[in-house]
Amino acid sequence: MELSQKVKKAIFTIKNKKEHRYDEQSSGKYLKRILISGLLSLILLYIIIYTLPQTVLDVSSLLEYTTIVALVIFLFVLVFRYFAILIMAYLYINQYTYKPTTGFFPFVSIIVPVYNEGVVVADSVKSLLDLNYSNYEIIIVNDGSKDNTQEVAETLVGYQKGRLSDVKVSLINKPNGGKAQALNAGIKYSNAEIVLCMDGDSQLSPDSIKLAVRHFSNPEIGAVAGNVKVINRGKLLTDLQALEYIEGLNMARSAQSFINLVNIIPGPIGLFRKKAIEEAGFYSSDTFAEDADLTLKVLANGWKIYYEPNSISYTEAPERLHQLLKQRYRWTRGIIQSIRKHKKLMVNPTINFGDTFIMWTMAYEALIWPVMNLAANLFFIVAAIFFGFTSLIFFWWAGLALLDLVTALYCVAVEKEEFRLVPYSLIYRMVFILIIDVSKVMSTIEEFLGIRMSWGKLERVGALRSQN
Amino acid sequence: MELIPILSTIILVATISTFILAIGAYILYKVRESRGEHYVSAGPSEVRAELVTPAVAPSPVREVERAPAQVVVNQPASSGPQFQPQPIFVQQPQRPEARPVRVGVPSQQYSAGYTAAPTRESKFMKYTTEGYVSAKEDVNAGALKWK
Repeated sequence: MELSQKVKKAIFTIKNKKEHRYDEQSSGKYLKRILISGLLSLILLYIIIYTLPQTVLDVSSLLEYTTIVALVIFLFVLVFRYFAILIMAYLYINQYTYKPTTGFFPFVSIIVPVYNEGVVVADSVKSLLDLNYSNYEIIIVNDGSKDNTQEVAETLVGYQKGRLSDVKVSLINKPNGGKAQALNAGIKYSNAEIVLCMDGDSQLSPDSIKLAVRHFSNPEIGAVAGNVKVINRGKLLTDLQALEYIEGLNMARSAQSFINLVNIIPGPIGLFRKKAIEEAGFYSSDTFAEDADLTLKVLANGWKIYYEPNSISYTEAPERLHQLLKQRYRWTRGIIQSIRKHKKLMVNPTINFGDTFIMWTMAYEALIWPVMNLAANLFFIVAAIFFGFTSLIFFWWAGLALLDLVTALYCVAVEKEEFRLVPYSLIYRMVFILIIDVSKVMSTIEEFLGIRMSWGKLERVGALRSQN
Repeated sequence: MELIPILSTIILVATISTFILAIGAYILYKVRESRGEHYVSAGPSEVRAELVTPAVAPSPVREVERAPAQVVVNQPASSGPQFQPQPIFVQQPQRPEARPVRVGVPSQQYSAGYTAAPTRESKFMKYTTEGYVSAKEDVNAGALKWK
């Protein structure tokens, strides 16, 4: 990498939008709602107990029937959801395989927001200079880092030698204001038709831009979501996350892409038509999932969102349980905040039916599914310990493990991933998903109680650096 | 010895352990987070940022020169962050304008499904000794007419 030649510095004033934080709700408001819900539940319980003698059921048989009905509903929803995602993902891959490529090469600005990334920023930019694309620039946005990020980034400013052409690297130094504001600063400064937003600690595969921008030749496409892969594998927790990204996130994204309604453009790689971002009012700092929030706003404006599986961004996954919980806590609360922020779209399908559909899916995944999963597991534990139905939990696990195993095989084959990840599917649902679902349920409760939270920054071990 | 009861016991123990681990880890996480908890106050409505950008195209002489001059640009009031990058972009004399370009196949080929409706001229072409010509062009050509 060559050093820059002459640089020019200028001071700018950035005006921030006044935003209402969704985690700063008054807990009294929610306490009132909980009290009303509790009162209504008690009334319902009273009605059931009062009317029970008039039916053929007694209390124990009512409980049995209720449990059986609940389990059948849960199983039906689980299998239906699984097969719907699988079929749609399969149809998408079929459609994708036969989609012709075009020679559409618009100018792209890559926005790299960095906060205390002095260790990895040079390597990140170095990887960006190796992209198999000739018409792009890099804008680093230093979000008030306290380490040596600014010094390192300043040495990168200039025209750097890229793989196919010289690449202009610029730097914006701004006071700390969060990732959303950093990305907004870069997008505003950019003069390109397409902007690529990524994380400062992620690395892109060489063909990532080339393969993603071709979808923008369709004027209805407002954004393209890339494929995020875990780079620091080799440990149980990171391998399970690698499988989750392939089986859980990417397969769902493929299914959503079949109807051009991807619900979350991942932070490590997302390409946007600048016009679509401007219409959506840029990133917002009022939720903890700014990517989900922006995606919903882009969809609400009538834009379509596509998923490009070969635009790959490598990211470092949390290696410790504490870090993983921190990440998932933020994701869950952020998604709930986004749903609450756009609840008007959720309840009124006439505004944008696609958005309504996608928001109900999000609500189901974030709120209903974890509760159902935990309830089912608790039921089998109680049935085994107190009623002696020990084999029930085995058959439950065997059925789910078989389903996960087949899905993992399919996903690994489609993504040409490591085959050694497939056996992890046997413990994926019973261990990994259970931990994640406990975290999701707890964070949902906290969100509705209005408990404050802070962003927090995940600790990075520098796995991306060691790959270079 | 039957296999299913053994496997069932293993699964049961594993599930209960995972539950305990998940709840324990969550409580631990909350305790650790609350120790270092800091509330972020609302950010100022206006912040000053510094833009560092290459001034000129790369020259054969590799000198590192930092211009100390600082330009203060007052932005008009608006809802979002605003920049005025004009002073920066004009200083790229030897570079092509960085703008969206299409290379390769002509533009009408990648907008398949979004092509403009054909005009009357392109719809009705006549084949003459000089090749295809539009109907309008050929309307008065030659003396031969149908009777």
